[in-house]
Amino acid sequence: MRIQLSQLTKTYKGGVHALKGIDLDVPTGMYGLLGSNGAGKTTLMRILAGLLRPTSGTVRLGGDDVTTKEGRLAVQRTLGYLPQDLGVYPDLTARQFLDYIALLKGLDERPGRRRRIGELLEVVALGEHADRRLKGYSGGMLRRVGIAQALLNDPRLLIVDEPTTGLDPEERIRFRTLLSHLAGERTVLLSTHIVEDVAQTCRYLAVLAKGRLVFQGDVGELVSRADRQVWTVTTSGAAPSTGRVVAALPHGSGMRYRVVAPVPPDPMARPAEPTLEDGYLALMEAAAPV
Amino acid sequence: MIAALRYEFLMQIRRPVMWIVYGLAFAALVATMWPAYRTLDLGSGGGHDPKLAMVVSAKVTMSLLAIVYGCLLADRLIRDRRLGVATIMDASSANPLGRLIGKYAGVCAATAAPIALAFFGRAVVYAIAEGKAEALAWSVPVFATAILPGLAFLGALALAGPLLMPPLVFRVLFVAYWFWGNLIPADMMPTLSHTIFAATGDYVAYGLFDRGSEGGFVYGPWPDAALNFLRPVASPAVAVLWMGVMVALAAGILLLARLHAARSEH
Ligand SMILES: Nc1ncnc2c1ncn2[C@@H]1O[C@H](COP(=O)(O)OP(=O)(O)OP(=O)(O)O)[C@@H](O)[C@H]1O
Ligand SMILES: [Mg+2]
Repeated sequence: MRIQLSQLTKTYKGGVHALKGIDLDVPTGMYGLLGSNGAGKTTLMRILAGLLRPTSGTVRLGGDDVTTKEGRLAVQRTLGYLPQDLGVYPDLTARQFLDYIALLKGLDERPGRRRRIGELLEVVALGEHADRRLKGYSGGMLRRVGIAQALLNDPRLLIVDEPTTGLDPEERIRFRTLLSHLAGERTVLLSTHIVEDVAQTCRYLAVLAKGRLVFQGDVGELVSRADRQVWTVTTSGAAPSTGRVVAALPHGSGMRYRVVAPVPPDPMARPAEPTLEDGYLALMEAAAPV
Repeated sequence: MIAALRYEFLMQIRRPVMWIVYGLAFAALVATMWPAYRTLDLGSGGGHDPKLAMVVSAKVTMSLLAIVYGCLLADRLIRDRRLGVATIMDASSANPLGRLIGKYAGVCAATAAPIALAFFGRAVVYAIAEGKAEALAWSVPVFATAILPGLAFLGALALAGPLLMPPLVFRVLFVAYWFWGNLIPADMMPTLSHTIFAATGDYVAYGLFDRGSEGGFVYGPWPDAALNFLRPVASPAVAVLWMGVMVALAAGILLLARLHAARSEH
């Protein structure tokens, strides 16, 4: 499902300008939305999910306009949303919780609903815990319950808001692999501030900073923003004072620094291969108001 | 709507704390009102009449257990937001008003279950002790007309009230309200108690089930009480009016709660 935003703004009641004119076109497949804390990712996703009304601008999801009541209902029928601050009823089992949400999503036919819940519990590898109360679940298991509830209605659009925050590395990798598998023929919009998650799963991404879109395009393009801007400096003296140090490793008697800077931070600096994270940092450096 | 009804009922009915609090309250009720609760006679000599006994049983049971009912409901609506479940529910295509009504019906039914258990349990004990099986037949209409409408109103109030204040504050106010608006004598101070806005089923007791008729007592305006215009003389029509008022208040409160949520959504 294609997402088209134009001139989208959102100003909260207190006067916070969370989104300041977003123009964005998201194709089918896995799409990353990067941004630091407070950039406006959650605000954007809540608007897409029909939970928040934009202050101005248009939002079209596969031809439906979410700002109208009919459009919102049409979108919500084919939407899966995993919120950043997902909660569950601790006194229900995973199966019961999913059944409750499935009923709310209009899966009225009982055998079909049961089958679907059973399948999804297997997909998220919770089959053997399905009849335990959710209060005993770990953070990673809860996140998987969250993705299972989002998938109940077989959505064409899946919105996941920082799903990997707080997960251990194995669980994080498992989770993002699961998301890539789900992408297939649907649109998966993944927001995160963990660059690595996007690097490993998305071909296209957008970067939000302070309510503005500062980048949209494919991953390679963002990496190339750091071309000729990444350096390694090996020194026994002080850290380089220009540019941004992204890594510092003990090396022999001194340190080896990895630095993102437009010019060599040190006469001894040697150029290095940029990663997506370097591209992101270079972009943020460039976008930061002087 | 059915979904919310089913699962809200399930979650509330199997909360141990609900049964514990009701158990304690029931013990307190038996301890403090023992003579009246034993004879089911509030001085009008009706303890051996199964119909009047059921009416009195309803009054005594509600006097204390209604407080527990209100307090146990206080966190049920707001907890969706507190737990973070509200977001995914709001993002589903389910109708929010339907969801609210389903939740209300389910959670109120579960919270009223112990009251029903206490009331019907007492009816069974009475039927056996007095050897009068008619008590069981009377208990059903008494429950439906003198207890349920009040619970319908109190349930809506207790779910929606905490939208405006912390649940703890609401509980304190609810207890105060219960005594002030339902239990105290009408001439003590200006009060809703004994009016058609009181949640106790007195208008049904006196208007439909003829409580007080032997003594020639007429339920209605109190001498020297303020707000007497809200205290018509009890009759079957007024009893029905009271039920209508309770249901209308419940519906009105739920509608306001929905509007409140809709306003804060965007
Ligand atoms: N309900 C609200 N009322 C007022 N301001 C809000 C509200 N929600 C968010 N904001 C503000 O809007 C801005 C964007 O917030 P948002 O939650 O969309 O950012 P985010 O990119 O999701 O951040 P994070 O990575 O921390 O989740 C922030 O400045 C935040 O303080
Ligand atoms: Mg966020």
